[in-house]
Amino acid sequence: MTGVHDLGGSPGGPVDKSQHEIEDWERLADAVTIALDIKGLKTTDEHRRAIEGLENYLNLSYYERWVAATEKLLVEKGILTREEVDERSAEMKRRWGGA
Amino acid sequence: MTTFEPGDRVRVRPADKPGHVRTPAYLRGKAGWVDSTLGEFRNPEDLAYGLCGAPERHLYKVGFRQADVWSDYEGPADDRLYADIYEQWLEPDRGGTA
Repeated sequence: MTGVHDLGGSPGGPVDKSQHEIEDWERLADAVTIALDIKGLKTTDEHRRAIEGLENYLNLSYYERWVAATEKLLVEKGILTREEVDERSAEMKRRWGGA
Repeated sequence: MTTFEPGDRVRVRPADKPGHVRTPAYLRGKAGWVDSTLGEFRNPEDLAYGLCGAPERHLYKVGFRQADVWSDYEGPADDRLYADIYEQWLEPDRGGTA
């Protein structure tokens, strides 16, 4: 079975080389993920495997994949439950008025 | 002691291993040569599942002729491609077509 990420050699059209400003949430996603590594709660190899296993891999941006994979690992390891993540997410949405 | 030495002809196993793999699909079954040895490391394909990754595996820098990798390659004949491949993905190449 070839993973969804394993695209080498597939026709993909021109490479989009445009840059974008790194957003605050992306910096935070990076920081949290690396902090969890340093704390010994997950590893880079596990994170990579979790990213490759994301069902909506192709629809996510780079750091969206990081966040989704980190959440998946924390739930998988029993450190957080999906409900806790969803509750906190809803609370943040209320507080910051996000859509 | 390493399984392969620089210059050895090798072939990437055509295996279809489930789960997390570190060998790109486009190289499976392709023949090349060992360029150099890169050391021994815990197996990332096991580390990816929270396992200890022991024993350590040899990692090799393996060279391929681009024309051997892509059937429709149109670039210069001596164009090469290099990939880091773990020993469990390699077997001696006994000749034949890629």
